[in-house]
Amino acid sequence: MKKDIIFTVPSYFRDDMNIMGYRFGKGEKSCVVLGALRGDEVQQLYVCARLVAFLREVERDDGIMPGKSVMVVPTAIGLSMNAGNRLWAPENTDINRCFPGDSEGSTTEQIAAALFDRLKAYKYGVQLTSFYQPGSFIPHVRMMETGRQNPELGCEFGLPYVYVRAPRVSDQTTLNYCWQLSGTQAYSLYAGKTQEIDEAAADQTLRAIIRFLNGRGIIRSEQTPGQKSAVIADADIDTVSSKSAGLLRRVKHAGAHVRRGEQLAFIINPLDGSVKEVLKAPVTGMLFFIQDGPFITEHSPVFQVLAT
Amino acid sequence: LAILKEISAVASIKMPIGENWTVSRCRYASEDGAEKRVCLATGIHGDERMGQLVVYDVARRIKNAPEHLHGVVDIYPMLNAIGLDIGERMVPSATKLDMNRAFPGNPDGTALESICHAVMQDMKGADLVLDIHTSSQITSELYGVRLHEQDADAMIPAAGALCPQSIWVLPDRAPYNATLTGALTVEGTHAMVLMVDERRLRSQMVVDEVVDGIFCKLSEMGMWTGETKDAPAAHSIPCMWDATDVCRVTCTRPGMYVPREVIGNVVKEGDVLGTIFDALDGEAVETVVAPESGLVFTQRRYSGVYPGTLIARICRKERT
Repeated sequence: MKKDIIFTVPSYFRDDMNIMGYRFGKGEKSCVVLGALRGDEVQQLYVCARLVAFLREVERDDGIMPGKSVMVVPTAIGLSMNAGNRLWAPENTDINRCFPGDSEGSTTEQIAAALFDRLKAYKYGVQLTSFYQPGSFIPHVRMMETGRQNPELGCEFGLPYVYVRAPRVSDQTTLNYCWQLSGTQAYSLYAGKTQEIDEAAADQTLRAIIRFLNGRGIIRSEQTPGQKSAVIADADIDTVSSKSAGLLRRVKHAGAHVRRGEQLAFIINPLDGSVKEVLKAPVTGMLFFIQDGPFITEHSPVFQVLAT
Repeated sequence: LAILKEISAVASIKMPIGENWTVSRCRYASEDGAEKRVCLATGIHGDERMGQLVVYDVARRIKNAPEHLHGVVDIYPMLNAIGLDIGERMVPSATKLDMNRAFPGNPDGTALESICHAVMQDMKGADLVLDIHTSSQITSELYGVRLHEQDADAMIPAAGALCPQSIWVLPDRAPYNATLTGALTVEGTHAMVLMVDERRLRSQMVVDEVVDGIFCKLSEMGMWTGETKDAPAAHSIPCMWDATDVCRVTCTRPGMYVPREVIGNVVKEGDVLGTIFDALDGEAVETVVAPESGLVFTQRRYSGVYPGTLIARICRKERT
């Protein structure tokens, strides 16, 4: 294992922030795995840390295939993680809205540029990311529809779903979008929770990455069989949104199979406890996403149901 | 002649505990049936509050001389109302999203996306939308107009009547296309950003300059017959057509930055813009100089800096 400093942000008040890359093997830049780009992506950091520990053992056992290399970048935002900020704290900006970056731009743009310069050299890119709403997903592989996406390859992670999503205008400065356009086969992995460690989802995500690395001939290690993946799109997802606001009491959780009309959650008046709204499944299927905050505002997507 | 004044809600989202996030609009409409419409929006970033004073002064001038208004002026003072209340730039939520990166919105999306969609629908079709932003707490800006590349040929001459001290064309790409101005332009409605200085010591002077410009523009559009100042010729206003016209000055060392007052000055290459010091070491660590000559239209104020922090923007040349 070799440790690289990908980029250093010198700080006046605090220690310098080094973005570290952990490299395994030599030769073709085969696959890079990126963890936290936001200061609250704890689960993403955790999965990367465990991946580094795993690859260290694989390398010790000569399991990195000749002529192949893997890099893991656990976090690019340690400074904000230490301070409890989701965004890049000094500039209040989202690094994952600054790609491909600008080496002569703001500090955030410089971080994005330095990262992108290293990451785009890899054939496969895996980003462990969080959603723009708080919540939990069924672990899945996601990619944007740029015309260069390769969902079939995404099935090699062995997760149950590969979700190809139409990008919004604001998505065009995300890593996944820019990565694909620059020629890397880019995949985002949604690994359960964000702000806390979810062991079961972390295990599942780690196994998926190991499966992909084995499948692509980058490492040789023990692995568990994956599931046959279904490629899904926006049209396969039904969203259940709130029509009222209050406290959210869920009775179903991500992964649950529900029947059409089944009760999913109650929105409770936070002052008198009365039920303001009962959220029900619009179709029979599986709960793909649930919002998991205690409060809910009107017009918020609370569940995503994958119809069966 | 009198005017009609009407306050209404463009969009409203119920919050969890007894409150609504409402985007309100105050419409001033002349009774002569004139149909031209100008929208003034502000408060999309909660840490930018100078726009409140700008639109207040616009409303006051209209109400003081209503007979001069011929058309409709729609004022949206508080797009990100909760952010404005607590001085938070982003929309306060668990994931802190930038409202000005969420346009054109989505009626079936999140609360933020549905609000953005509703705002877009309300503004679409106006003859002009002015989205008033202010410099952040740590920068000073010359009063400037920023507009979208897709609309530049038509709008640069039109921007002159706003009497800005600079005009800057923003590129036709993300993330600008997800801004209110960008999304409106892409959908065919003329829109511009007005950048106003947040320096509070001279706030009324700064605001007067912008409000004078707005009435000058209304006059040029035939919507205001009251007295206005003379608009400069568009070609006399420094205009930056693309990134090659803007010199971004950044620092290379971390520390505390102490500026010299150069905003609005034409500096020469090598002129000192400010100094970065290290209080622990008791040393000045960097003297930031102008790498090129030109008009300083953005300047950082006293604040902590990192390598790459924007210190100033200089208009390289006065291309018109």
